[in-house]
Amino acid sequence: MMDVCNWDGTVSAKDFRIGALSFAQKWESLNSAFPPWSWVPCPKHSWLASHELLQEEGYLSLENICISRPNEEDIDQNSQTDPGEEETSCSEKEDDIDDATLVQSNHHELHYCDFHVVYSYTFRVPVLYLRAYCSDGRPLLLDEIEKELPACSSKELPETKWAFITQEEHPYLKRPWYKLHPCGTSEFMKLLFLGGDTAQPKLEVVLELYLLSWFSAVGQVVGLTIPCKMLNDR
Amino acid sequence: MAKEGSGSILQFAPFQSSVDEGFWHRFSSLKLNKFGIDDSPIAISGFFAPCSHPQVSNHLTLLAESLPSDSNEESSIPAFSRGNRNRCSVPGILYNTNTMESFHGLDKQGLLRAEAKKIWEDVHSGKVLEDSSVLSRFLLISFADLKKWSFHYWFAFPALVLDPPATLVDLRPASQWFTLEEAESVSAACNEWRNSSVTADVPFFLVSVGSDSRAAVRHLKDWETCQYDGQKLLFAFYDPCHLPNNPGWPLRNYLAFICARWNLKTVHFLCYRENRGFADLSLSLVGEALITISQGWREHQCVPNAVGWELNKGRKVPRCINLAKSMDPTRLAISAADLNLKLMRWRALPSLNLDILFSIKCLLLGAGTLGCQVARMLMAWGVRRITLVDNGRVAMSNPLRQSLYTLDDCLNGGDFKATAAVRSLQRIFPAVVAEGVVMAIPMPGHPVSSQEENSVLEDCRRLNDLIGSHDVIFLLTDTRESRWLPTLLCANTNKITITAALGFDSFLVMRHGPGPFNSTPDLKAEMPNSLSAVMDNLALTNTDGKQRLGCYFCNDVVAPTDSTSNRTLDQQCTVTRPGLAPIASALAVELLVGILHHPHGIFAEAEIAKSNNGGSSELPLGILPHQIRGSLPHFQQMTLVGNSSNSCTACCSTVVSEYRKRGMQFILQAINHPTYLEDLTGLTELMRSANTFQLDWDDEMEDADDECIEL
Repeated sequence: MMDVCNWDGTVSAKDFRIGALSFAQKWESLNSAFPPWSWVPCPKHSWLASHELLQEEGYLSLENICISRPNEEDIDQNSQTDPGEEETSCSEKEDDIDDATLVQSNHHELHYCDFHVVYSYTFRVPVLYLRAYCSDGRPLLLDEIEKELPACSSKELPETKWAFITQEEHPYLKRPWYKLHPCGTSEFMKLLFLGGDTAQPKLEVVLELYLLSWFSAVGQVVGLTIPCKMLNDR
Repeated sequence: MAKEGSGSILQFAPFQSSVDEGFWHRFSSLKLNKFGIDDSPIAISGFFAPCSHPQVSNHLTLLAESLPSDSNEESSIPAFSRGNRNRCSVPGILYNTNTMESFHGLDKQGLLRAEAKKIWEDVHSGKVLEDSSVLSRFLLISFADLKKWSFHYWFAFPALVLDPPATLVDLRPASQWFTLEEAESVSAACNEWRNSSVTADVPFFLVSVGSDSRAAVRHLKDWETCQYDGQKLLFAFYDPCHLPNNPGWPLRNYLAFICARWNLKTVHFLCYRENRGFADLSLSLVGEALITISQGWREHQCVPNAVGWELNKGRKVPRCINLAKSMDPTRLAISAADLNLKLMRWRALPSLNLDILFSIKCLLLGAGTLGCQVARMLMAWGVRRITLVDNGRVAMSNPLRQSLYTLDDCLNGGDFKATAAVRSLQRIFPAVVAEGVVMAIPMPGHPVSSQEENSVLEDCRRLNDLIGSHDVIFLLTDTRESRWLPTLLCANTNKITITAALGFDSFLVMRHGPGPFNSTPDLKAEMPNSLSAVMDNLALTNTDGKQRLGCYFCNDVVAPTDSTSNRTLDQQCTVTRPGLAPIASALAVELLVGILHHPHGIFAEAEIAKSNNGGSSELPLGILPHQIRGSLPHFQQMTLVGNSSNSCTACCSTVVSEYRKRGMQFILQAINHPTYLEDLTGLTELMRSANTFQLDWDDEMEDADDECIEL
């Protein structure tokens, strides 16, 4: 068994999967008050030997998290209606609003965020992917996201050597998502476990706690927290 | 707040739509690969769930999975499975048009009526009892503009209009309507219903509470069997709405169904809502509605009126979403390239100036082995504005060494290199602003006839304009003399100039120093009037460290003449070891980036690489040399410094001021008279006097010819 001092801060795909499943399970059982993380399996067609097929890939998912502050005054700068669209409405003779339809005057725009934790085979570490959108589905750009999650802002992160938001194609959904670039992850994971004065833990312990510790560090950037119960329950 | 006996019209909160980006992505791909221009309606599924938050209503959502699955597609889309408690599926239909005009021209009334009729049919046929989600059937019209990646769309949630409208007798939170015991039982029963994959996504159901306070949840089709006394019976449904005083839209067709099917005049209903995954009876509402229906309702053939087009911020207009940023491949390429450079800056080079790289305009004279490679390297560094000048055509042997060309460019006599190169750059990175200029560079020592004079002068002027309108000039041609005029013009305007030249197995990459004017005030370039002065000024090393750095010709003792005729074939064909051009090109671009990041730019002093370079350079990109000479046989590279020569035929003050004085006439004279430049700069004089010393100039000159500068 490899000595923990030689550990490079990374984790294998198998350990990631085990850690992720246990993370999701623990989260659900301990935190009924919080929305649940769930494991989304992504079976890949494998032409390798049959035992390889059992190695299921997937990612952790937390979706539809409202990131807007409740009383924000929303001036919709991205008004999507063309001036040309006006003509359509005038041509409609039928009254689409009958007496039984409630007409709401406040058009409060809320923003939501989806978070995925995906394993990176290149860097051998988990990576946080995120995307944000309005309630009608319109995606938000990075600068709009930064307003809601100020810790994400590049202005706030000049000192952080390991947090950089980039945009890349989601490995399973094949669409551009934002992600926290993983090139610094192994470094800070090493620091987390080996940087203190306390006695060095065994490698098995490190791997078990890996995802939890990773999450507690990375989650701060996007405002996700781990309830204490999960950290204490060891 | 309870409304009691008010008899006011029951008002329903309209459904709100939410279309996930993934839906448009998938739809675009289906449209491009499968549907083409076929605009027949497409059956789709919408998803919704009961309200799960006291302040926010849930939407009817379209996802990538909403579109029908296609066996040809790569299955990165998980097919949706029934039984998902957060995704109750609802049938819908999509009418997508191929033009904006046809989008606006759709018969919206007609389409709405057609969907309303389907609901009406299902009400009467009993289909609702089998699959109640058909009560919330919806309609979507759209126009997908796949050139601009914008999607115009409009939802309708058809609701059969009760005439006269239903009135509300009572509406209050469920926790206030049930007793405590009943409420507990109802919650438990509902939670069980929601947790079973068989019933989790069934949005309409019955809740019956017996006299023993025990509640049971049943399917709609069991209604007849639920009729016994002492029992409270509620028509329950998943209510996406969160409002305390209004039920959600699904109740509309539900009431219509109930009175058409079972002829009830009073309906007790339960708007089922949740909080954090569990039944929330204080958020859920129980109400009582009074319905009076006209005779027509019992008659199947008379379809009631329908309403339901979704408002867009209170206005009767469609919605529009633009997804160019995440779908347009060019935009994606730009953003990926930008992020890549920013990543480099973040990880390795915090002082990297990306703005300057994005904005500089580079002129590449020559689109051959060096030109192609320099262009690619520039793009890799984020340079977006590139102009290539070359008057040649792509020959069959070119694609192997000239990295922008392929066989297609050689056919039919070969395309012009300048245009083929631009095409190639655009294929690599569509956002590049590239221009090709098919033009020959006038050269001294290649006399022109009087008929050609005008066009040659035109070329000179054009070259001058090109140099004037760019920030950086790369001299990448294949003859020594073709570099003369650009060097002079750049020295005259103080443009950053970089030369790359290849021998058979060696190369030279250098940056020209600034021109003789506009340089630091210490420099005095005086006209030599005596041999000794000439000799002094020719010295390559100078004690005055502030002398400006030299250009390509400063090291010459000969003026550029015709080096192409009377040469053996292989030298004329410019054969070099293939590895040289990529190395030299790469160094040329890296040198440029170094200049751009140096505080003094073109005036930067030369540094040489020292073997014990213990962080002696303060600049993050390293030292900024003047010349780099490399040799492949030795796998060696040296950095050198060469100061300017006061007899330089291209950049000395004599020449530049003569050019300033006489312009094109001066150029023409240099082109037509082989010794004119040497006479002007005193080189002729030098050589004559040098001959008297009997130095073996001839041999040395020959070597000098062969040594460096051919391509």
